[in-house]
Amino acid sequence: MQWITRERPKIDRLACPWLILRFIDPAAEILYVPTAEVVPTAERTGAIPFDVPGVEFSHYGADCTFDYFLKKYALTDPALLAMAPIVRGADTDNHALAQQAAGLWAISAGLAHNITDDQQLLQQGRVLYDALYTWAEQLQGQPHTQQPEEQLLVQVYTAYLQRTQDKNAPPPAWTAQLRELIQDHLDTNLSLRLTEAADALQVNPSYLSREFARYFDDLSFGEYIRKLRIEKALQLLDTTAYSMGEIAYLTGFSDQSHFTRIFKQHTGQSPAAYRKKRPGR
Amino acid sequence: MKWITRERPKIDRIACPWLIQNFVDPAAEFLFVPPEQVLAQAAALPAIAYDIAGADYTHEGESCTFDYILKKHRLTDPALHQLARIVRGADTDRFELAPQAAGLWAISAGLSYNCADDHEQLAIGLKLYDALYSWARHVPAERHTWTPG
Repeated sequence: MQWITRERPKIDRLACPWLILRFIDPAAEILYVPTAEVVPTAERTGAIPFDVPGVEFSHYGADCTFDYFLKKYALTDPALLAMAPIVRGADTDNHALAQQAAGLWAISAGLAHNITDDQQLLQQGRVLYDALYTWAEQLQGQPHTQQPEEQLLVQVYTAYLQRTQDKNAPPPAWTAQLRELIQDHLDTNLSLRLTEAADALQVNPSYLSREFARYFDDLSFGEYIRKLRIEKALQLLDTTAYSMGEIAYLTGFSDQSHFTRIFKQHTGQSPAAYRKKRPGR
Repeated sequence: MKWITRERPKIDRIACPWLIQNFVDPAAEFLFVPPEQVLAQAAALPAIAYDIAGADYTHEGESCTFDYILKKHRLTDPALHQLARIVRGADTDRFELAPQAAGLWAISAGLSYNCADDHEQLAIGLKLYDALYSWARHVPAERHTWTPG
């Protein structure tokens, strides 16, 4: 069978052909053509079009074409299901979906940059996805270290040294970036999530979560953002005539009662009571 | 020059040959042998031993052999240093060092498992690191979204 898609593949248009050739149609021939020619060529030749809008084998909602192939052919191999969020994360620029997505994206983007012949790129892509499949099938959770005990010792030792020197050490560069990022969100509605922040800063979310409190008033990411929201709410209560519902919205709370409850937890009184008692009124 | 290390490479022993061939010794020839033979063969051939305890080129503290080569040969290309964090994260099981480390590890581990021959693996691995280097140099800011046409 012939399968046809857009030229210059990166993720989905390599992962799907790999899947087709390995699990669906081993004799498949994959054609890459300019975007505008995919559907007309498919209609003329009977090739099956994929990963273009308006055809059956395509993106649906947050799912990419790879997901649709799994669903359509009822492929339930756990290794394939483990690969799906990695492919989807790399293909839809949502690297938080799987820890391996950012690496797959970097390698795929570089391969596409280096190899200008799409069929050659497909050959490389097949080797890559064969490797990822083997990892998903056999090697997940297997740690890799040269000399595990030595590595652990070195880590503990350097962590110990760091603790003792930390008072003088400058904070890591991401803290300044994060302050800016949070400041930007202050002006919108503070709906910044940890995973988004980690993605923007190019650091691992669990690392950010663990290290955050050391540089931000000993508060967790969630507590810190909540504190800023309450501070902004206090300021809006002081300086504007916005209603409680409007202030709840402007400070990123989902509804007014949630806002009232959190506000009371932090300040000991309701927003309405606070506004009433406000001096100089 | 000949460069020798332990057989069955995964990360550092593929990334280092790539670095050596492209930035240190373009005529390099790479040998993979059982761990206990590395130092003896290095002396007999002679060859430069790397990524094994007791060799000139090896892990140093928290850094891996790739880091050591960058330092020793004073390679300052920022793309190489970005690559170094990814390699170190994948090689020393510290994925928090770079977002790309976990993916590099998964692909490299699978590749090592799939290739019975170390030199076949090296040939594929060289293309893999060519790709990562190109990404670091040319495309790190590019975001991939689904907007065909």
